[in-house]
Amino acid sequence: MSKLPEGAELEKKTNHLLNAWFQWRYPMIFFTLLVLAIGVTNSIIEGNWQKLFESPGNIRTFFYESLWPPDWSVIEPQAYPVCEEPKHLDFTCSTAWIGVLETLKIAFVATVFGMVISYPIAILAAENLSPGWISYPARTLLAASRSLPSILWAILFVIMVGLGPMAGILAMTLYTVGYLGKLQYEAIEGVAKPQLDASRAMGHGWFERSFGVVLPESANNLISQAIFMFEYNFRHGTVIGIVGAGGIGYYINLYLKFLQYDKVFAYVIIIFIVVILLDQLSKLVRSFFKDDKQPNRPPWWSGLFLPAGWTRNLLKKKD
Amino acid sequence: MDEYDAVVGGYDLSIGYERDNVLLSDINLSLKPGEIVAINGASGIGKTTLLRTFAGLLNPLEGTVNIFGKIKADRGEIGYIPQRLGLIRHASVHHNVMMGAKAGHTSAWFPFSRVCKTHTLEAIESVGLMHKLRTPIRKLSGGQQRRVAVARTLAQKPRLILADEFLAELDEETLNMVMQKVLDYVKESNAIMILVEHDFERAMQMADRLFTAVGDKLVEIIASEE
Repeated sequence: MSKLPEGAELEKKTNHLLNAWFQWRYPMIFFTLLVLAIGVTNSIIEGNWQKLFESPGNIRTFFYESLWPPDWSVIEPQAYPVCEEPKHLDFTCSTAWIGVLETLKIAFVATVFGMVISYPIAILAAENLSPGWISYPARTLLAASRSLPSILWAILFVIMVGLGPMAGILAMTLYTVGYLGKLQYEAIEGVAKPQLDASRAMGHGWFERSFGVVLPESANNLISQAIFMFEYNFRHGTVIGIVGAGGIGYYINLYLKFLQYDKVFAYVIIIFIVVILLDQLSKLVRSFFKDDKQPNRPPWWSGLFLPAGWTRNLLKKKD
Repeated sequence: MDEYDAVVGGYDLSIGYERDNVLLSDINLSLKPGEIVAINGASGIGKTTLLRTFAGLLNPLEGTVNIFGKIKADRGEIGYIPQRLGLIRHASVHHNVMMGAKAGHTSAWFPFSRVCKTHTLEAIESVGLMHKLRTPIRKLSGGQQRRVAVARTLAQKPRLILADEFLAELDEETLNMVMQKVLDYVKESNAIMILVEHDFERAMQMADRLFTAVGDKLVEIIASEE
């Protein structure tokens, strides 16, 4: 009998079923989840898929009759109070400018306060820095503060401190603490073991390890999360304004009530542009903490005006 | 002073991560001040685990560890260079070395002292990285990162150095320079060093005694001349 080659002999020894499972487990899990999701959807909509296929027609009618073209009067100065700015700056008296600026301010303040409060709690919540009897209560605290969406916190704070941006700041700060805190303790738990081992062996105290080792080591993630949170707070700032917590949401709510959807659509486009700009800014800031991306770092001004990719291409062409 | 206060040792030690999977057992070794011990052996046999046990990062499965008369070292007594160095990647060379200096020369309650700055700069100078003082670790080459890890330990001035293949990736010239610095420090300050080293010749060159892990036992293959 001829001798089998070595590779084939080794293959005979392995379990084919187990091999197939290891090779295909991720596509199989994904496919199972997809089938499950479709099944759950079917049970929720009670098999009425017709609704889904009729909807494009509805949205087309709504879009052409109510949304398009957007009413750009929202970037014109308001009639009252009278705008005292020079002509070329009169857009700063518009509801869009005032609303966006207020939402940005609320988002900025909430992100900074939220970050300052959440980091110490995240350190306490991280299992690689704190024992279970500290980390579990800290996690519960973070979970509690994000268990209510920011819009519900906003309603509570509007009741407590009245209408206006203060309620918005408090609501978003509280939500930021919960949300950012979770992202932060996960980033802290992702800090590589050798760094913590070296620190423990040297005898660093908890404070030194948390602020001298873990903070700089996870800086990239923390900064990227904070910027993401700022962008998130800006987007949500538009929603919480609807319940009277200040910002552009206040104006959106106002025009929704009067069914002036073309103005609402103009606000939506403005929000979209600001979100894109914030995304570019976040890319630029994060590039300072990534060595591998450094040669592609766009100039500082590009984040403010152009998407980073465009600037890079433009600069390349110039070279 | 008790004789145990000056030495580092393991007595009837069994080490490993799980009780039913002992990596090395019946380890008995005692190291005197100024002594360097090298350990080599196949990968995965338990050399790093032994260093981690001495570093206080892992409890022995059986037996006792003695670190200068205690079962756990005081702050700054141990300088540990893990195989993957344990440097803070997004922090500068200065910050990393300063963390060593702080461990060695300040208390946990008030980790600030002017002395730290002096020790930090001296250590960075000694490994020839003054021109990279403010450079983040992630921007350094593998060899430069090893030099930073050594500088961190030199700035700390520990009584016990635990080094896991700390001379890997270094070019011949830098390797000799770094090795000499560490040897000088150990001899001058009467410190103790345990190093894991795969390169047999280099281990012989540095160490007073050489152990090798065979099976689950640590065997002394080259004993001290004394």
